[in-house]
Amino acid sequence: MASKTCLGEQQRMGGPGVGCDLCEVRERSICSELGPREFTQVEKIMARRAIARNKAIMAEGEPNDSLYVIVDGSFRLSKILEDGRRQVTGFLFKGDFAGVRSTGASAYTAEALEDSHVCNFPHRFLDEISKDAPGVKDRLIARGQTEYHKAQDHIVLLGKKTAEERVISFIDMIDRTIGVDEAGDTGRRVVPLPMSRQDIADYLGLRLETLSRTLALLKKDGRICDLSRSAVTIPAQAVRVSA
Amino acid sequence: MNPLWRKYFSQRAPRYTSYPSALLFDSSVTPAAYTAKLSKIGLYQPLSLYFHVPFCRRQCWYCGCNMRVENNYERALSYVDALRGEIRLVARGLGGRGRPQTIHFGGGTPNYLSADDLAGVIETVELELGLTDQTRLAIEIDPRELKTGDVRRLVGLGFSRISIGVQDFDPEVQAAINRIQPFELVEAAVADMRTAGVADISFDLLYGLPKQTLSSFKESIEKAIALGPDRLSVFGYAHLPQSIKRQRLIREEDLPGGETRVDLAEAADAMLIGAGYARVGFDHYARPGNSLANAAARRQLRRNFQGFTDDAAEASIGFGASAISHVNGLYAQNAKAIDIYKNQVRSGILPIERGVERTLRDEAIAHTIEEFLCTTETDIGPVLAGASAKEAEAIRQSLGELAEDGVIEWRAGHIRLADGAGLLARVAASALDPLEARNRVEAGRFSCAV
Repeated sequence: MASKTCLGEQQRMGGPGVGCDLCEVRERSICSELGPREFTQVEKIMARRAIARNKAIMAEGEPNDSLYVIVDGSFRLSKILEDGRRQVTGFLFKGDFAGVRSTGASAYTAEALEDSHVCNFPHRFLDEISKDAPGVKDRLIARGQTEYHKAQDHIVLLGKKTAEERVISFIDMIDRTIGVDEAGDTGRRVVPLPMSRQDIADYLGLRLETLSRTLALLKKDGRICDLSRSAVTIPAQAVRVSA
Repeated sequence: MNPLWRKYFSQRAPRYTSYPSALLFDSSVTPAAYTAKLSKIGLYQPLSLYFHVPFCRRQCWYCGCNMRVENNYERALSYVDALRGEIRLVARGLGGRGRPQTIHFGGGTPNYLSADDLAGVIETVELELGLTDQTRLAIEIDPRELKTGDVRRLVGLGFSRISIGVQDFDPEVQAAINRIQPFELVEAAVADMRTAGVADISFDLLYGLPKQTLSSFKESIEKAIALGPDRLSVFGYAHLPQSIKRQRLIREEDLPGGETRVDLAEAADAMLIGAGYARVGFDHYARPGNSLANAAARRQLRRNFQGFTDDAAEASIGFGASAISHVNGLYAQNAKAIDIYKNQVRSGILPIERGVERTLRDEAIAHTIEEFLCTTETDIGPVLAGASAKEAEAIRQSLGELAEDGVIEWRAGHIRLADGAGLLARVAASALDPLEARNRVEAGRFSCAV
């Protein structure tokens, strides 16, 4: 694993513990699209990078030539609105993609919410392998969550008419990506919340106070079992459905 | 004041808070046309929201706004219900698109509504359209209606900009306009706001009011400066008793003459600049460092129905009786009559009554006039390019006369308002408006118009 000193620096594949065979997201990533010959090429050209918390892999308005696969950790997507405010537009988790198209000016910024790892693939290389495997990019976009899917998620969430619905849908959305079963067969799910409350409020179009009030209310009526700064525990699916 | 400019002061010129002017709105704009525009707003496009509260406890005789004196709060409550209903209708049209960036409550008297009822409106905005802690909330208040604790409650709701209708501090003037509002009352309101942490307080002042004299108005300006508002607007009172009945209560013989009006406006300008305020547009003033002054300095000032503004949102959505929305080239105005407005919302239809859709040519004129008013200069090429031969000739003739009299400098395709000619900015802008320019030329140029 990358040590503190090489955070943010490019690190070639093949170091201890970071081999592609051990990659957790391999089945969900572009790599599963590759034949053995192409895979050998990929190993030469792609790079796994450690991204320290608060560092950006893509910056709004700056060129971007790489596709990123989030290997672990999480990222916040945001853009600066015309009036200078920052709008949180989505979150990327393990297995998600960023930078699906090569661009001279990225439409958003992607910043790490925690120390994270990404693999980056230069687009010119992807175009190269597309010659041998036509449509590989499209298949890639079809199977993973990209920034475009995140925009769809966002509009669905913003269309919810009560604060409770918005918050619950948000938690469910994250649960589907990075939620885990609670220890001890309770059937409950533990959903990590690596982003700040302010980020959540921004994303959901709520004021911080409304978000806090809504979380408290959900906890009181049992739709949330447990709540901490960085995670929320929700009831078993059966309980949620019958509720 | 340059004596050559005197003849321009009697000119009536549109306010150019929109182009085309609201006077040209007609019934061709329907709720469906407006809904179609709403559905094309971008996911993260900033929105500016305006809420009109058309109620007052008392009647100010100078007022030209859509308002009524309402002593039955129940009726205001059903209006609040209609506002919330209208928010839901707009939200349906937007389908999650657009992010509110500023919310402005104007009137009438917005603080006619209780803090709880204002909170209800804001909560509906939050749930239907989305709100963040960075959304700027502004409200116009009548200090006579502020009760103990109101300011604290408004700040608690998130209001960070408060504008006070001061008009004039002179007791005789206040009596002549039926707005008795002692200096001490305004002073206490400002103190309350400062204690509550309001960092953006604005005063509206009016010149040309009955009983105003140069010395009385200077005293009012002095008092205004002493209270240290962050911004001021100094508007000229427009006496239109033919169309605005309540203005007939003002005695014509009490009104200052045209010459005095110029003196009043120029005195206010000199005093505010002398006190360190920056001139913003031609009738707004702001402390350096205030967001309005910053926008002007960065040439990001805009003009909308509230006057000069630092609000950069391209789309503005108006709620309430007579409120005007402007979305992607379409102006759409709500029903003016409160009962018609309420009934239409109740039946589930956006209460659009009239409006106008800008043509490409209108866009060019609108942008040119806005740039001229906000920065005092502009290129006239786009306007001339869209004008007919006759209109272009009328524009050139009007500009020529203004340039000859030194109101503007005109070089090649560029005009600039002369220093000190701020009071004539609207008249000069009307020379760029093909309709106005043609009417004027047909009526015999500036000098002969009434």
